[in-house]
Amino acid sequence: MNYDFSDKEFNLFVEIHTLISEFVKDKNLESSDINTSAENIRQALALLSQTPYLKLGVEKAENYNGLLTLMGAMEVIAGTSPSLFLSIETSTRIFGRILSTWGSDSQKEKLLNPLLNGQIIGAVGLSEDALNVDNDPLTTTAVADGDSVKISGHKQYVINGPTADWIAVVGMMNGKNVICLVEKGTPGLTIGEKTATLGYEGVAISKIILNDCTIASSQVITPKNDKDMLNTLKLWENQILIGAGLGLMKTAFESAKDHSKKHKTGGKPIIAYQEVGFKLSEMLTLFQTSQLFAYRAAWTADTDPKNVESLTLCAKVFCTESAEQVASEAMKILGGSGFLSGHPVEEAFRCSKYGQIAGTSTEISRVKIGDTALGMNK
Amino acid sequence: MDFAFTKEQLMFKKEIIRFAKKEIVPRVQEHDLKKQFDFEAFKKLGEFGILGLHFPEEYGGSGADVITTVMAGEALGEAGVDGGLTLAYGAHTFLCADTIFSHGTEEQRKKYIPKLASGEWIGCMGLTEPNAGSDVASLATTAEKKGDKYVLNGSKIFITNGPLADVSVIYAKTDPEQKHTGISAFIVEKGTKGFSSGPNLIKMGVSTSQTSELFFNNCEIPAENLLGDEGEGFNMSLQTVEWDRSALLAPFVGAATYMMTRCVDYAKSREQFGRKIGKFQAIKQKIANIRIFGEAARNLVYRIAWCKDQGRPMNHLEAAVAKLFVGDWSLGPANDAVVLFGGYGYCHEYDMERIFRDSRLAPIGGGTSDIQKMIISKLM
Repeated sequence: MNYDFSDKEFNLFVEIHTLISEFVKDKNLESSDINTSAENIRQALALLSQTPYLKLGVEKAENYNGLLTLMGAMEVIAGTSPSLFLSIETSTRIFGRILSTWGSDSQKEKLLNPLLNGQIIGAVGLSEDALNVDNDPLTTTAVADGDSVKISGHKQYVINGPTADWIAVVGMMNGKNVICLVEKGTPGLTIGEKTATLGYEGVAISKIILNDCTIASSQVITPKNDKDMLNTLKLWENQILIGAGLGLMKTAFESAKDHSKKHKTGGKPIIAYQEVGFKLSEMLTLFQTSQLFAYRAAWTADTDPKNVESLTLCAKVFCTESAEQVASEAMKILGGSGFLSGHPVEEAFRCSKYGQIAGTSTEISRVKIGDTALGMNK
Repeated sequence: MDFAFTKEQLMFKKEIIRFAKKEIVPRVQEHDLKKQFDFEAFKKLGEFGILGLHFPEEYGGSGADVITTVMAGEALGEAGVDGGLTLAYGAHTFLCADTIFSHGTEEQRKKYIPKLASGEWIGCMGLTEPNAGSDVASLATTAEKKGDKYVLNGSKIFITNGPLADVSVIYAKTDPEQKHTGISAFIVEKGTKGFSSGPNLIKMGVSTSQTSELFFNNCEIPAENLLGDEGEGFNMSLQTVEWDRSALLAPFVGAATYMMTRCVDYAKSREQFGRKIGKFQAIKQKIANIRIFGEAARNLVYRIAWCKDQGRPMNHLEAAVAKLFVGDWSLGPANDAVVLFGGYGYCHEYDMERIFRDSRLAPIGGGTSDIQKMIISKLM
């Protein structure tokens, strides 16, 4: 047992923090302009490719724990810019892990290496109207046509949809779940308008429509156990949302704490009042408990992947719900300033809702945790 | 970072659960109903080696590390042992025996630890007074040195094992003019003239533990019963906090697992509307809430244990976070467990209502949740 990150991991967190803090200084990371979003992500990816960050959890990074180190590092990035974080992670940790886990050597060579070098942006088209708790069959279909494959269907809420160079589209082919790697500009691929959202405004999220979109059959990934694939994709998404929760809590807690030490009323800093000090104590308790929960779930993913799903759902519920609570309480401590648009805590509060909805929603997570305990897993 | 337990630790945990389920759990409900201490169960804990687990073998212990010791507490909770017995064990082993072991002379260690480790003697610790709870500096019990004796006067309240204890570690002011630095710790044996205990206080939960007032009326004890030096008492009481935030919280973590297991069994057997209630999402949600609490609390408690094993100085903020979380966040899951059982959950025949009552000590004993918030807000 060991509750400390190694010196090497700690140094990596410091390095990433220094890089990304400097990077965000003169940037508008919450801009709803797609070109600005794309430029921000490209620059950030190029910057982070100088560190082992992009490789974590995707490829073996010597002297680092895979997902465990990543979880500590994700907190740093998400705590600096939630939008940048969500874009980077979707590209690297979901698109990237699709390639590293199921991709062929040539697919890896063609896409994974440039991805980890920060040269391309990836997106994943998974969610559909019909994609529900029980994982009903996907309606997006891929049909072989000689050496080509034609894809048709709709995908919603595609993170990085308008900014991605490549989109991994999940669909059905010959009764099995497959992933089609579709390059931007491929005939038959239509990218929808950027969707306006409550939080994460700097992330380009859109629908995509595939209408006889034709790709080479070498661009199709057929995982061996295709039924587990959807669950695995959800697991990766949940892991990212846990990291996002930690970052949002860090931002909200630190901001409220700093304010409570500087802001005075009745001649003393407001942290000296129990109403404020006790609220901060509860927030810190949620934050620290979430951190340990996230780290243990990540450690389990690294060491005991068979038992990771249910524990990750537990961590996801706790971390994402705590993030909203902590951000909400932080706003109250900050008074009027926390309510101003553009304040990091106001932003954290808005973003925090997403974590409970995306991936496996917290309601469905609880049902699945219950199913596991009851031995009722499907 | 590494959250793994060793194979030996996991095997030991299984052994304790097996032992407790066989030897102790069948006796729990009856003793809880009668609010009686289970002497036989306590003796069995001693025979199994749990009461002295972390003491060196030469003092009758097993030389276990802190994590293994904490794990024993979790295992007892997980097996279904009541909070009263685990509290009695905690007060006996950590608040009493460990204070003597950590700060006593070799003579004191040899005299008391083996008999406390075996369970032959029962120990308690007296710090809280009617007018001095969390505000330790305002202790009113005095210990005046007269020749080769100390004379104790005053009273203590809410003392776990108070009516039973053969050996008591008592905190008193040797210098009433001073605040924290005027406090010293003493060993007081049962039967000492001028020392008496009140009747068992009837409590909401942890009913099998016996709790009482202690009275000192010109109670003379030999000067060699002083623990450490005069004025060191407050620091000694602080050091027990490490155990308080790990080993004494561990049974609550185990109890969460026990609640979940019981709820799962019930949900799989109880039928309503033509199907097992476990099929309903509302039931699954309750089970999930209990598991989430248990998993979250476990990490916090073992963090304190691991730090203590590393010999690190106490991190009061992390300790307070663990205590606050277990205290305040356990209410929802414990309530869920009672409600899941419906009417049966409210009846003593099923033990969910007992666990609910036992769990309500968590935000009060060993420093209330508000005190933990005071500590955290001051340290942050």
